Amino acid sequence: MAKRITIDMHTHPAFSETICLTPEQEKFAQDMYGLYKTEVSSDEMQLIYMDVAGIDKAALLPLDLTSTAGGCLASNEDVLTLVNKHPDRFIGFASIDPHDPAALEKLEQAFAEYKLSGLKLHPSKQRFYPTEDCMEDIYAMCEKYNKPITFHAGMSVEPDTLSKYAKPENFEEVAYYHRNLRFCLAHFGWPWTQETCMLLLKYQNVYADTALLYFDSAPEFYEQVFTIDMGKKWIDRSFRHQIMFGSDDPRLEMIRMKRAIENMDMRQETIDLIMGGNALEFLGMEG
Amino acid sequence: MVKHESIEMITRAYNAMIKITDKVRDAVSNSGISNGVVYVITAHTTTGITVNEGLECLESDIQVMLDKMVPEDGDYSHARFLHSYGAMAGNPTGHLKSHLTGNNVVFPIIDGKMKLGNAQDIYLCEFDGPQEREIMITMIGE
Repeated sequence: MAKRITIDMHTHPAFSETICLTPEQEKFAQDMYGLYKTEVSSDEMQLIYMDVAGIDKAALLPLDLTSTAGGCLASNEDVLTLVNKHPDRFIGFASIDPHDPAALEKLEQAFAEYKLSGLKLHPSKQRFYPTEDCMEDIYAMCEKYNKPITFHAGMSVEPDTLSKYAKPENFEEVAYYHRNLRFCLAHFGWPWTQETCMLLLKYQNVYADTALLYFDSAPEFYEQVFTIDMGKKWIDRSFRHQIMFGSDDPRLEMIRMKRAIENMDMRQETIDLIMGGNALEFLGMEG
Repeated sequence: MVKHESIEMITRAYNAMIKITDKVRDAVSNSGISNGVVYVITAHTTTGITVNEGLECLESDIQVMLDKMVPEDGDYSHARFLHSYGAMAGNPTGHLKSHLTGNNVVFPIIDGKMKLGNAQDIYLCEFDGPQEREIMITMIGE
Protein backbone atom coordinates (compact mmCIF):
# COMPACT_ATOMS: atom_id res chain seq x y z
CA MET A 1 0.00 0.00 0.00
CA ALA A 2 1.38 3.39 -0.99
CA LYS A 3 2.34 5.75 1.80
CA ARG A 4 -0.13 8.55 2.33
CA ILE A 5 1.20 11.91 1.25
CA THR A 6 0.52 14.68 3.73
CA ILE A 7 0.12 18.18 2.35
CA ASP A 8 -0.39 21.39 4.28
CA MET A 9 -2.36 23.52 1.84
CA HIS A 10 -2.19 26.74 3.84
CA THR A 11 1.16 28.22 4.84
CA HIS A 12 2.55 31.72 4.50
CA PRO A 13 6.19 32.05 3.37
CA ALA A 14 6.74 35.78 3.97
CA PHE A 15 8.97 35.24 7.04
CA SER A 16 11.40 32.94 5.23
CA GLU A 17 14.99 34.12 5.55
CA THR A 18 15.47 33.38 1.85
CA ILE A 19 13.08 36.12 0.81
CA CYS A 20 12.64 38.34 3.88
CA LEU A 21 16.00 40.03 3.69
CA THR A 22 15.67 43.32 5.59
CA PRO A 23 14.20 44.51 8.91
CA GLU A 24 11.79 46.63 6.87
CA GLN A 25 10.47 43.55 5.07
CA GLU A 26 10.08 41.73 8.38
CA LYS A 27 8.19 44.69 9.86
CA PHE A 28 5.96 44.87 6.77
CA ALA A 29 5.09 41.19 7.14
CA GLN A 30 4.42 41.58 10.86
CA ASP A 31 2.17 44.59 10.32
CA MET A 32 0.29 43.19 7.33
CA TYR A 33 -0.39 39.80 8.91
CA GLY A 34 -0.81 41.24 12.38
CA LEU A 35 1.76 38.71 13.56
CA TYR A 36 3.53 41.15 15.82
CA LYS A 37 6.00 38.76 17.46
CA THR A 38 6.72 36.47 14.53
CA GLU A 39 10.28 36.76 13.29
CA VAL A 40 12.24 35.73 10.22
CA SER A 41 13.05 32.04 10.36
CA SER A 42 15.38 29.78 8.46
CA ASP A 43 14.26 27.39 5.77
CA GLU A 44 16.11 24.68 7.70
CA MET A 45 13.88 25.34 10.70
CA GLN A 46 10.76 25.27 8.54
CA LEU A 47 11.72 21.91 7.05
CA ILE A 48 12.50 20.49 10.49
CA TYR A 49 9.13 21.71 11.67
CA MET A 50 7.43 20.01 8.73
CA ASP A 51 9.39 16.81 9.41
CA VAL A 52 8.39 16.72 13.07
CA ALA A 53 4.77 17.46 12.15
CA GLY A 54 4.86 14.70 9.53
CA ILE A 55 4.09 17.01 6.61
CA ASP A 56 5.57 16.05 3.26
CA LYS A 57 4.73 19.16 1.31
CA ALA A 58 3.50 22.66 2.09
CA ALA A 59 1.67 25.05 -0.20
CA LEU A 60 3.20 28.52 -0.05
CA LEU A 61 0.57 31.25 -0.26
CA PRO A 62 1.88 34.74 -1.04
CA LEU A 63 -0.23 37.89 -1.19
CA ASP A 64 0.09 40.84 -3.55
CA LEU A 65 -0.95 44.00 -1.72
CA THR A 66 0.31 46.46 -4.30
CA SER A 67 -2.74 48.73 -4.35
CA THR A 68 -3.74 48.51 -0.72
CA ALA A 69 -0.33 48.51 1.00
CA GLY A 70 2.35 49.06 -1.62
CA GLY A 71 4.04 45.71 -1.31
CA CYS A 72 3.82 41.95 -1.36
CA LEU A 73 3.82 39.33 1.34
CA ALA A 74 6.21 37.31 -0.81
CA SER A 75 6.22 38.01 -4.53
CA ASN A 76 5.67 35.39 -7.20
CA GLU A 77 9.41 35.50 -7.82
CA ASP A 78 10.06 34.90 -4.11
CA VAL A 79 7.80 31.86 -4.19
CA LEU A 80 9.58 30.56 -7.27
CA THR A 81 12.92 30.94 -5.47
CA LEU A 82 11.68 28.91 -2.50
CA VAL A 83 10.15 26.22 -4.68
CA ASN A 84 13.35 25.93 -6.70
CA LYS A 85 15.35 25.51 -3.47
CA HIS A 86 13.08 22.77 -2.15
CA PRO A 87 11.01 21.43 -5.05
CA ASP A 88 10.19 18.23 -3.20
CA ARG A 89 8.78 20.07 -0.17
CA PHE A 90 7.11 23.26 -1.38
CA ILE A 91 4.14 23.85 -3.69
CA GLY A 92 4.21 27.43 -4.91
CA PHE A 93 1.14 29.56 -5.42
CA ALA A 94 1.03 32.93 -7.15
CA SER A 95 -0.74 36.06 -6.06
CA ILE A 96 -1.83 39.09 -8.03
CA ASP A 97 -3.60 42.27 -7.04
CA PRO A 98 -6.95 42.25 -8.87
CA HIS A 99 -6.90 46.05 -9.09
CA ASP A 100 -3.40 46.15 -10.57
CA PRO A 101 -3.60 46.92 -14.33
CA ALA A 102 -0.77 44.42 -14.83
CA ALA A 103 -2.51 41.66 -12.88
CA LEU A 104 -3.31 39.42 -15.83
CA GLU A 105 0.16 39.72 -17.30
CA LYS A 106 1.69 38.82 -13.93
CA LEU A 107 -0.66 35.89 -13.54
CA GLU A 108 0.13 34.47 -16.94
CA GLN A 109 3.84 34.80 -16.20
CA ALA A 110 3.34 32.98 -12.90
CA PHE A 111 1.54 30.09 -14.59
CA ALA A 112 3.28 29.88 -17.96
CA GLU A 113 6.85 30.81 -17.04
CA TYR A 114 7.16 30.11 -13.32
CA LYS A 115 4.90 27.04 -13.40
CA LEU A 116 3.32 27.99 -10.09
CA SER A 117 0.57 25.68 -8.96
CA GLY A 118 -2.33 27.98 -8.14
CA LEU A 119 -3.46 31.45 -7.17
CA LYS A 120 -4.00 32.94 -3.70
CA LEU A 121 -6.40 35.84 -3.25
CA HIS A 122 -7.68 37.57 -0.14
CA PRO A 123 -10.85 39.59 -0.80
CA SER A 124 -10.85 41.25 2.62
CA LYS A 125 -7.22 42.31 2.57
CA GLN A 126 -7.14 43.16 -1.13
CA ARG A 127 -10.54 44.86 -0.96
CA PHE A 128 -12.45 43.24 -3.79
CA TYR A 129 -15.62 41.25 -4.21
CA PRO A 130 -15.29 37.89 -5.96
CA THR A 131 -17.92 38.93 -8.51
CA GLU A 132 -16.30 42.21 -9.55
CA ASP A 133 -15.87 42.66 -13.29
CA CYS A 134 -12.09 42.64 -13.03
CA MET A 135 -12.21 39.08 -11.71
CA GLU A 136 -13.65 37.46 -14.82
CA ASP A 137 -10.42 37.53 -16.81
CA ILE A 138 -8.53 36.22 -13.78
CA TYR A 139 -10.89 33.28 -13.47
CA ALA A 140 -10.61 32.64 -17.21
CA MET A 141 -6.82 32.62 -16.94
CA CYS A 142 -6.96 30.07 -14.12
CA GLU A 143 -9.28 27.89 -16.19
CA LYS A 144 -7.02 28.22 -19.23
CA TYR A 145 -4.05 26.90 -17.26
CA ASN A 146 -6.14 24.53 -15.12
CA LYS A 147 -4.91 26.18 -11.92
CA PRO A 148 -6.99 26.39 -8.72
CA ILE A 149 -7.57 29.41 -6.52
CA THR A 150 -7.38 29.55 -2.75
CA PHE A 151 -9.50 32.42 -1.49
CA HIS A 152 -9.32 33.68 2.01
CA ALA A 153 -12.91 33.23 3.17
CA GLY A 154 -14.77 34.26 6.30
CA MET A 155 -13.40 36.45 9.04
CA SER A 156 -9.79 37.53 8.94
CA VAL A 157 -7.84 38.39 12.08
CA GLU A 158 -5.40 40.41 10.00
CA PRO A 159 -5.53 44.20 10.40
CA ASP A 160 -7.43 46.31 7.86
CA THR A 161 -9.75 43.57 6.76
CA LEU A 162 -13.51 43.79 6.33
CA SER A 163 -15.39 40.54 6.53
CA LYS A 164 -18.09 41.62 4.08
CA TYR A 165 -15.79 40.92 1.12
CA ALA A 166 -15.17 37.31 2.06
CA LYS A 167 -18.51 35.88 3.13
CA PRO A 168 -18.87 32.45 1.54
CA GLU A 169 -22.11 33.33 -0.24
CA ASN A 170 -20.14 35.92 -2.23
CA PHE A 171 -18.43 33.04 -4.01
CA GLU A 172 -21.54 31.26 -5.27
CA GLU A 173 -21.63 32.99 -8.63
CA VAL A 174 -17.97 32.12 -9.16
CA ALA A 175 -18.76 28.47 -8.55
CA TYR A 176 -21.89 28.63 -10.67
CA TYR A 177 -20.44 30.35 -13.73
CA HIS A 178 -17.02 28.69 -13.62
CA ARG A 179 -17.74 24.99 -13.20
CA ASN A 180 -14.25 24.08 -14.40
CA LEU A 181 -12.56 26.36 -11.90
CA ARG A 182 -11.58 24.63 -8.67
CA PHE A 183 -11.38 26.97 -5.71
CA CYS A 184 -10.92 26.63 -1.99
CA LEU A 185 -12.66 28.64 0.70
CA ALA A 186 -9.85 28.88 3.22
CA HIS A 187 -10.56 28.79 6.93
CA PHE A 188 -13.85 27.01 6.07
CA GLY A 189 -15.35 30.48 5.73
CA TRP A 190 -15.68 30.73 9.50
CA PRO A 191 -17.94 31.88 11.11
CA TRP A 192 -20.24 31.31 8.11
CA THR A 193 -19.55 27.60 7.99
CA GLN A 194 -23.17 26.77 7.08
CA GLU A 195 -22.78 28.91 3.96
CA THR A 196 -19.59 27.05 3.15
CA CYS A 197 -21.44 23.76 3.59
CA MET A 198 -24.14 24.98 1.22
CA LEU A 199 -21.52 25.71 -1.44
CA LEU A 200 -19.68 22.43 -0.88
CA LEU A 201 -22.96 20.56 -1.28
CA LYS A 202 -24.07 22.39 -4.42
CA TYR A 203 -20.74 22.71 -6.24
CA GLN A 204 -18.16 20.00 -6.52
CA ASN A 205 -15.58 22.48 -7.77
CA VAL A 206 -15.63 24.12 -4.33
CA TYR A 207 -13.23 23.00 -1.60
CA ALA A 208 -12.54 24.22 1.93
CA ASP A 209 -9.51 24.01 4.18
CA THR A 210 -9.06 23.41 7.89
CA ALA A 211 -6.97 26.47 8.72
CA LEU A 212 -9.27 27.75 11.42
CA LEU A 213 -8.67 28.17 15.13
CA TYR A 214 -9.98 31.26 16.86
CA PHE A 215 -11.07 29.95 20.25
CA ASP A 216 -9.92 27.19 22.59
CA SER A 217 -7.50 24.47 21.52
CA ALA A 218 -7.47 22.95 18.04
CA PRO A 219 -9.32 19.76 19.11
CA GLU A 220 -11.93 21.75 21.02
CA PHE A 221 -12.51 24.22 18.21
CA TYR A 222 -12.73 21.54 15.54
CA GLU A 223 -15.22 19.65 17.68
CA GLN A 224 -17.35 22.78 18.00
CA VAL A 225 -17.22 23.72 14.31
CA PHE A 226 -17.21 20.32 12.65
CA THR A 227 -19.47 18.30 14.96
CA ILE A 228 -21.77 20.80 16.72
CA ASP A 229 -22.15 23.79 14.40
CA MET A 230 -22.20 21.28 11.55
CA GLY A 231 -23.70 17.82 11.55
CA LYS A 232 -21.34 15.33 13.13
CA LYS A 233 -21.10 13.19 9.99
CA TRP A 234 -21.28 15.86 7.29
CA ILE A 235 -17.58 15.80 6.47
CA ASP A 236 -17.22 12.03 6.70
CA ARG A 237 -20.33 11.33 4.60
CA SER A 238 -20.76 14.28 2.27
CA PHE A 239 -17.65 16.46 2.04
CA ARG A 240 -14.84 13.92 2.32
CA HIS A 241 -13.55 14.77 -1.17
CA GLN A 242 -13.66 18.54 -0.70
CA ILE A 243 -11.84 19.25 2.56
CA MET A 244 -8.08 19.84 2.64
CA PHE A 245 -5.73 20.10 5.58
CA GLY A 246 -4.32 23.58 6.10
CA SER A 247 -2.51 24.83 9.17
CA ASP A 248 -2.22 28.60 8.60
CA ASP A 249 1.45 28.42 9.61
CA PRO A 250 3.00 30.57 11.06
CA ARG A 251 -0.13 31.97 12.75
CA LEU A 252 -1.14 28.49 13.83
CA GLU A 253 1.04 25.45 14.44
CA MET A 254 1.29 22.55 12.05
CA ILE A 255 1.91 19.92 14.71
CA ARG A 256 -1.16 20.62 16.83
CA MET A 257 -3.46 21.39 13.89
CA LYS A 258 -2.53 18.17 12.14
CA ARG A 259 -2.89 16.09 15.28
CA ALA A 260 -6.35 17.57 15.89
CA ILE A 261 -7.57 16.57 12.42
CA GLU A 262 -6.05 13.10 12.66
CA ASN A 263 -7.77 12.51 16.00
CA MET A 264 -11.24 13.44 14.76
CA ASP A 265 -13.88 10.74 14.76
CA MET A 266 -13.92 10.00 11.04
CA ARG A 267 -13.11 7.07 8.77
CA GLN A 268 -9.40 6.65 8.15
CA GLU A 269 -10.03 7.01 4.40
CA THR A 270 -11.59 10.40 5.06
CA ILE A 271 -8.62 11.49 7.18
CA ASP A 272 -6.27 10.39 4.40
CA LEU A 273 -8.23 12.36 1.81
CA ILE A 274 -8.18 15.47 3.98
CA MET A 275 -4.48 15.14 4.74
CA GLY A 276 -3.36 14.88 1.13
CA GLY A 277 -5.52 13.07 -1.37
CA ASN A 278 -7.91 15.96 -1.91
CA ALA A 279 -5.04 18.40 -2.30
CA LEU A 280 -3.66 16.35 -5.17
CA GLU A 281 -7.05 16.50 -6.89
CA PHE A 282 -7.39 20.20 -6.19
CA LEU A 283 -3.95 20.89 -7.62
CA GLY A 284 -4.59 18.73 -10.64
CA MET A 285 -1.64 16.52 -9.72
CA GLU A 286 -1.34 12.78 -10.11
CA GLY A 287 -2.17 10.84 -6.95
CA MET B 1 35.19 37.33 37.88
CA VAL B 2 31.96 36.77 35.94
CA LYS B 3 31.84 35.07 32.54
CA HIS B 4 28.79 34.69 30.32
CA GLU B 5 28.46 32.16 27.53
CA SER B 6 25.51 30.81 25.62
CA ILE B 7 24.61 27.61 23.83
CA GLU B 8 22.39 27.82 20.78
CA MET B 9 20.72 24.74 19.39
CA ILE B 10 17.85 23.57 17.24
CA THR B 11 15.60 21.05 18.93
CA ARG B 12 14.06 18.41 16.69
CA ALA B 13 11.02 17.10 18.51
CA TYR B 14 7.81 18.41 20.08
CA ASN B 15 8.98 17.22 23.49
CA ALA B 16 12.52 16.04 24.22
CA MET B 17 15.19 15.81 26.86
CA ILE B 18 18.56 16.82 25.48
CA LYS B 19 21.78 16.31 27.41
CA ILE B 20 23.90 19.45 27.55
CA THR B 21 26.37 18.36 30.23
CA ASP B 22 29.40 18.32 27.94
CA LYS B 23 28.63 21.74 26.52
CA VAL B 24 28.40 23.23 30.02
CA ARG B 25 31.55 21.40 31.08
CA ASP B 26 33.41 22.85 28.10
CA ALA B 27 32.22 26.35 28.89
CA VAL B 28 33.49 26.00 32.45
CA SER B 29 36.86 24.61 31.33
CA ASN B 30 37.32 27.50 28.91
CA SER B 31 36.23 30.19 31.36
CA GLY B 32 39.49 30.49 33.29
CA ILE B 33 37.57 30.28 36.57
CA SER B 34 39.13 27.91 39.10
CA ASN B 35 36.68 28.13 41.95
CA GLY B 36 33.12 29.36 41.91
CA VAL B 37 29.71 28.41 40.57
CA VAL B 38 28.10 27.93 37.19
CA TYR B 39 24.48 28.74 36.46
CA VAL B 40 22.74 27.13 33.50
CA ILE B 41 19.61 29.08 32.56
CA THR B 42 17.17 28.68 29.69
CA ALA B 43 16.13 31.80 27.80
CA HIS B 44 12.63 30.45 27.13
CA THR B 45 9.31 29.83 28.89
CA THR B 46 8.45 26.53 27.21
CA THR B 47 11.70 24.76 28.00
CA GLY B 48 13.20 23.57 31.24
CA ILE B 49 16.65 22.95 32.62
CA THR B 50 16.93 19.98 34.92
CA VAL B 51 19.32 17.39 36.33
CA ASN B 52 18.87 13.67 36.49
CA GLU B 53 20.64 10.45 35.75
CA GLY B 54 21.42 10.21 32.05
CA LEU B 55 19.45 7.10 31.25
CA GLU B 56 17.01 6.65 28.39
CA CYS B 57 14.53 4.87 30.65
CA LEU B 58 14.45 7.75 33.09
CA GLU B 59 14.06 10.26 30.29
CA SER B 60 11.03 8.29 29.16
CA ASP B 61 9.61 8.05 32.69
CA ILE B 62 10.02 11.77 33.27
CA GLN B 63 8.25 12.61 30.03
CA VAL B 64 5.42 10.18 30.76
CA MET B 65 5.04 11.67 34.23
CA LEU B 66 4.88 15.19 32.81
CA ASP B 67 2.37 14.11 30.15
CA LYS B 68 0.13 12.71 32.88
CA MET B 69 0.42 15.85 34.96
CA VAL B 70 -0.07 18.18 32.00
CA PRO B 71 -2.12 16.34 29.35
CA GLU B 72 -2.38 17.78 25.85
CA ASP B 73 -6.19 17.62 26.01
CA GLY B 74 -6.46 19.40 29.36
CA ASP B 75 -8.66 22.42 30.04
CA TYR B 76 -6.30 25.39 29.90
CA SER B 77 -6.98 29.10 30.10
CA HIS B 78 -3.96 29.67 27.86
CA ALA B 79 -5.95 28.50 24.83
CA ARG B 80 -7.21 31.72 23.33
CA PHE B 81 -6.37 34.39 20.81
CA LEU B 82 -3.54 36.66 21.98
CA HIS B 83 -3.95 40.10 20.46
CA SER B 84 -0.37 41.07 21.30
CA TYR B 85 0.87 38.18 19.15
CA GLY B 86 -1.90 38.16 16.57
CA ALA B 87 -1.96 34.42 17.07
CA MET B 88 -3.46 31.71 19.21
CA ALA B 89 -1.91 30.64 22.47
CA GLY B 90 -1.57 26.98 21.67
CA ASN B 91 1.20 25.90 23.97
CA PRO B 92 -0.11 25.84 27.56
CA THR B 93 1.42 22.41 28.12
CA GLY B 94 4.85 23.77 27.24
CA HIS B 95 4.54 26.59 29.73
CA LEU B 96 3.26 24.34 32.52
CA LYS B 97 5.90 21.66 32.01
CA SER B 98 8.51 24.39 31.99
CA HIS B 99 7.09 25.66 35.26
CA LEU B 100 7.35 22.20 36.79
CA THR B 101 10.86 21.59 35.56
CA GLY B 102 12.31 24.97 36.41
CA ASN B 103 14.47 27.24 34.33
CA ASN B 104 17.95 26.74 35.79
CA VAL B 105 20.44 24.61 37.66
CA VAL B 106 23.63 25.54 39.49
CA PHE B 107 26.82 23.59 40.17
CA PRO B 108 30.11 24.31 41.89
CA ILE B 109 33.32 24.92 40.00
CA ILE B 110 36.28 23.35 41.77
CA ASP B 111 39.83 23.39 40.46
CA GLY B 112 38.65 24.67 37.08
CA LYS B 113 36.07 21.93 36.56
CA MET B 114 32.32 21.68 37.05
CA LYS B 115 31.67 19.37 40.00
CA LEU B 116 28.85 16.91 39.24
CA GLY B 117 27.68 13.88 41.14
CA ASN B 118 28.54 10.59 39.48
CA ALA B 119 25.01 10.02 38.16
CA GLN B 120 24.19 13.59 37.24
CA ASP B 121 23.57 14.96 33.78
CA ILE B 122 22.21 18.35 32.82
CA TYR B 123 19.27 18.45 30.42
CA LEU B 124 17.57 21.00 28.27
CA CYS B 125 13.92 19.93 28.24
CA GLU B 126 12.03 20.93 25.11
CA PHE B 127 8.29 21.25 25.61
CA ASP B 128 7.21 23.14 22.49
CA GLY B 129 9.57 22.09 19.75
CA PRO B 130 11.06 22.01 17.33
CA GLN B 131 12.56 25.44 17.85
CA GLU B 132 15.80 27.38 17.93
CA ARG B 133 16.80 27.60 21.58
CA GLU B 134 19.34 29.51 23.66
CA ILE B 135 20.80 28.43 26.99
CA MET B 136 22.68 31.02 29.03
CA ILE B 137 25.67 29.94 31.07
CA THR B 138 26.90 32.32 33.76
CA MET B 139 30.07 31.48 35.69
CA ILE B 140 31.01 33.38 38.83
CA GLY B 141 34.28 32.82 40.67
CA GLU B 142 38.00 33.45 40.76
